[in-house]
Amino acid sequence: MSFIVQGKSVVKKFGDFVALDHVDIDIENGEVVCIVGPSGSGKSTLLRCINQLEKIDGGGLWVDGELVGYRIAGSALHELDDKQIARQRLATGMVFQRFNLFPHMTALENIIEGPIQVLKRSPQECREQALELLERVGLSDKANAYPVELSGGQQQRVAIARALAMRPRLMLFDEPTSALDPELVGEVLQVMRDLARSGMSMIVVTHELGFAREVANRVVFMDAGQIVETGAPEEILMYPRNERTRGFISAVLN
Amino acid sequence: MQTTTQTPPTSSTELSDYKIVPRRHYGRLLSSLIILGLLGALIHAFANGDIEWSVVGRFLTAKAILWGLGNTVLMSILAMILGVVLGVVFAIMRMSSNSVLRYVAKGYIWFFRGTPIILQLLLWFNLALVFPTLGIPGVFEARTVDVMVPFVAALLGLGINQGAYTAEVVRGGLLSVDNGQYEAAMSIGMTRLKSLRRIVLPQAMRVILPPIGNETISMIKMTSLASVIQYSEILHNAQNIYYANARVMELLIVAGIWYLVVVTIMSFGQRMLERRFARGSGRVDH
Repeated sequence: MSFIVQGKSVVKKFGDFVALDHVDIDIENGEVVCIVGPSGSGKSTLLRCINQLEKIDGGGLWVDGELVGYRIAGSALHELDDKQIARQRLATGMVFQRFNLFPHMTALENIIEGPIQVLKRSPQECREQALELLERVGLSDKANAYPVELSGGQQQRVAIARALAMRPRLMLFDEPTSALDPELVGEVLQVMRDLARSGMSMIVVTHELGFAREVANRVVFMDAGQIVETGAPEEILMYPRNERTRGFISAVLN
Repeated sequence: MQTTTQTPPTSSTELSDYKIVPRRHYGRLLSSLIILGLLGALIHAFANGDIEWSVVGRFLTAKAILWGLGNTVLMSILAMILGVVLGVVFAIMRMSSNSVLRYVAKGYIWFFRGTPIILQLLLWFNLALVFPTLGIPGVFEARTVDVMVPFVAALLGLGINQGAYTAEVVRGGLLSVDNGQYEAAMSIGMTRLKSLRRIVLPQAMRVILPPIGNETISMIKMTSLASVIQYSEILHNAQNIYYANARVMELLIVAGIWYLVVVTIMSFGQRMLERRFARGSGRVDH
């Protein structure tokens, strides 16, 4: 069994506030894990620690077999520099709640930016790959549209294509449908569903319990910086054992 | 109130028979007339004043004036380029997580914004009083008076001073870009510096450009201060001519006309640039 993510006693603090309180988590290659929980429970923080948008204050995180943010030498941990952190980030692709497309670039330019600038692949090859990705997310006709000309759902699908263009080993989704109008949620979930079927390892922070139940291999419930309960979707969503999980799920469903 | 009534007509086609009378802007009409009148009076006064317009016409394209004009434009462009390069570098240093860089940038901005530009020009020009020779001993050395010619002193004085102001403009622009843009850039594997260059700076340009355009225009006029260190820009040359022929007003008008021409062209260029960097912002300014 190989793990794409392993977290051992991960701690993250913002000032006095403990966002992650000794979190242990193992995620296997090819697994789709949905993280649910009330806001402020640390779900997004965990995701942001995995791709080093936040630096952890304790414990250790391994992504794709590499210790995140440090190099081990003898009995010391040496902090990595900017370049090495950027290289480690290549293992993961991130999709943000607010899309964060580059507004001064077209959909196509958004997608080829990373492959050309970071991976130094040939522009021709990148453009072909980008057009394939756009087709995959159903936006072949929007290659030359600027983000401002796209709906929220379309922007988020371009953002997914942009992350996939870097050929990551793991995709992280930070509430990808929370900023969308209700009628646009479906198209984004459909793209994620297809991606899950293709065997991509995914961690999805979401409030879409229906999606979690249908697509996830495993659901993790977090509260107050801790993983309260983890298990198969039906287990967690239908028959939660923990009081807090029960409270949250009935609150979301009603 | 003879035939008009306030009741709606029975069908909408009836309304289309009415003639629409546009609103009258009496205030605009009146103020335009007053302004035209004042302008007329001003032109009349200058036309009848003791000004030899033929002298203005003759010196407008005099060699010394055109040479000075060229120097003014050249110095404005070079000093502005130096200013923008320094501004971007120091803005990034000012926002760095490295505290040494941050304090160096703060010190630079503090010093060069804190002293008058004319004093800085004089300092550069008279640098030889402090350092008679410049260079790295053994590698190359030169007498400071040979290096600090008016052109070099003016370029350093104006450009470095401009950099201090531009640094603050650029910093404001960088701060205006959403933090999510840095995160998105880093999430596709960019380093902090590359994110700045490829993603954040191009977006900040939209905010940075209008004030930079403004400062470029101000730089064109600020180059006239370099006349105190004998840089032969247009005002300096105009002065030299009127010291000889005593046609003070005529030559000042010649210089004034050329400044207006250059600034007008620059303003046009600024608009074109702003339009280019507004790509994807969903807004076209007129």
